[in-house]
Amino acid sequence: MRRIAGHVVLGALGLACVLPIYWLYAASLRRPGDVHDQSPLPWPLSLANYTDAFAKTDITGMLLNTTVIAAASAVGQLLIALFASYAMAAWRFRGHRVAHLLFVGTWLVPFQVTMLPNYTLLARLGLLETLAGVVVPTLCSALGVLLLREHLLNFPKELLEAARMDGRSSWTILWTVVVPVLRPVLAALGILLFINAWNEYFWPALVLQRSNAVIQLGIRSFMGTEGNDWGPLMATAGLASLPVLLLYLVLQRQIVNAFVRSGLK
Amino acid sequence: MIGTFVEAVPSLPPRRAEAAARPRAVVRLARAAPPYLYLAPGLVLLVVWTYWPLAQTFFLSFHSWNLVPSTPMTQVGTDNYERLLTTSALGSSTVRTFQVIAGLLPFTLLIPLGVGLLTRGRGTVHRGLVFAPMLVAPVAGATVWMFLLDPDAGLVNTVLGTDVNWLNGTGTALWAIVLITGWHLAGFAVLVVAAGLAGIDPEYTAAARVDGATSSQITRWITLPLLSPTLWFLVLMTVLLGAQWTFPLIDTLTQGGPAGSSTTVYYLLWEYGFRSNDAGLAAAAGVLFFAGFMLVAVPLARLADRAAVREEGP
Repeated sequence: MRRIAGHVVLGALGLACVLPIYWLYAASLRRPGDVHDQSPLPWPLSLANYTDAFAKTDITGMLLNTTVIAAASAVGQLLIALFASYAMAAWRFRGHRVAHLLFVGTWLVPFQVTMLPNYTLLARLGLLETLAGVVVPTLCSALGVLLLREHLLNFPKELLEAARMDGRSSWTILWTVVVPVLRPVLAALGILLFINAWNEYFWPALVLQRSNAVIQLGIRSFMGTEGNDWGPLMATAGLASLPVLLLYLVLQRQIVNAFVRSGLK
Repeated sequence: MIGTFVEAVPSLPPRRAEAAARPRAVVRLARAAPPYLYLAPGLVLLVVWTYWPLAQTFFLSFHSWNLVPSTPMTQVGTDNYERLLTTSALGSSTVRTFQVIAGLLPFTLLIPLGVGLLTRGRGTVHRGLVFAPMLVAPVAGATVWMFLLDPDAGLVNTVLGTDVNWLNGTGTALWAIVLITGWHLAGFAVLVVAAGLAGIDPEYTAAARVDGATSSQITRWITLPLLSPTLWFLVLMTVLLGAQWTFPLIDTLTQGGPAGSSTTVYYLLWEYGFRSNDAGLAAAAGVLFFAGFMLVAVPLARLADRAAVREEGP
């Protein structure tokens, strides 16, 4: 009895979670006149909403920009987190605790509290309305640092010790000993950081206020005060989520584990 | 030799010929430098983009400025704070923020806990489904929910047989935002609870059962206490993440309206800064909000952290 109840509850929950996503793609694939149809299966299928969206905005350009931003953020965050966590795990040094607290502390400072000084600094650096302006402020990911630190603290010390005895420099040890062993962890973290950067809204909205250079902002161009252009709007939203969802189809296990392990974003 | 891994730096420098030849201070500096060099990029970024701006916000809160670089700031003392405290916007948006957090807890704590307890150890097939909304970008989520909640042709009104204008009603807009955020986060929370439950040693429950404890007694006195770190973590996550997720939803769906009924503190700060270009007022509100936020978040973080240490054990 309990077993059946469990399955029913999970089934209902799974359905509630997936239905909106299904509806997004179903509506986007209906013929432009049928967008508001409520038949469960979109039929006849049509790509007209997609061609419409591509014709009205530079979707290709926005997807490309978003890919560049997400990849640059993920790689940058990964490198900086690797260095910082290596420092905190491989040495004991004065200020160790302070450094740790500084990383943890960023979670307690909401963006909205620091955004005005950030904005003026971006303006002074000439980074407003640029893709670099979206990437640079987010390059230090406290999540990445703390997650890698935890893994490095469990790193077999004998390996480091042996490499050191060989007279290798800490830089060589990082790339020849630490990185190869951590590769799966780095890959999982990299995917997580890429997804977060892809879905990021706040920084693009702050930096790219006058242009719609990334897909998350581009979706808004089909929303209007007079009403929404539903067909291309659904198509654009579908395209904005598609890369991450495809990545998820392929790497489901790794992605779920990376998120659940990391917990905090 | 560049430094000593793991072990504390020994107090005696190695007695090597070339080390002795160089001045001691330089040698010591070279030996101490590596960890700081590796830390530098991250820490510099933190200071530049988080901690120094925090100080600047504090400074700005005592000035009047319209964000235009060419116009000078003028010192206004505590004017901004007085303006804030005489209008009701900050207070009512704070209340709304707490409503959002309270409204999210069923999605991020109660449902996951219930589902977790009911389906212990099963349901790996469903993991993939329930987690998917977490990966949908907030703006895309906002779009599809706007479609579902459409007053004329939305699926929600059709199913419920109502004609409510969910996102444009002062009584419903905030709750619609809560529902959408809850949809994004619930599956993730379910998996976190499942991971927490899986981490509990089955020996405890087996032992209690041998002693004649009933299922509900086991849940109440063994499972829940052992799960408490996970639950505290979820509360903390709701407070920290909930706000991050509601911001893009509010910005795309309601812009804080109608009549300010979905303006949370986060959105109010954004409006003060970039809609009314009142940097001083926004900064003052930011300072007050940050102080209040610390009062809530620090104790929660401590609870989650202390509990996590206990869970890991020695």
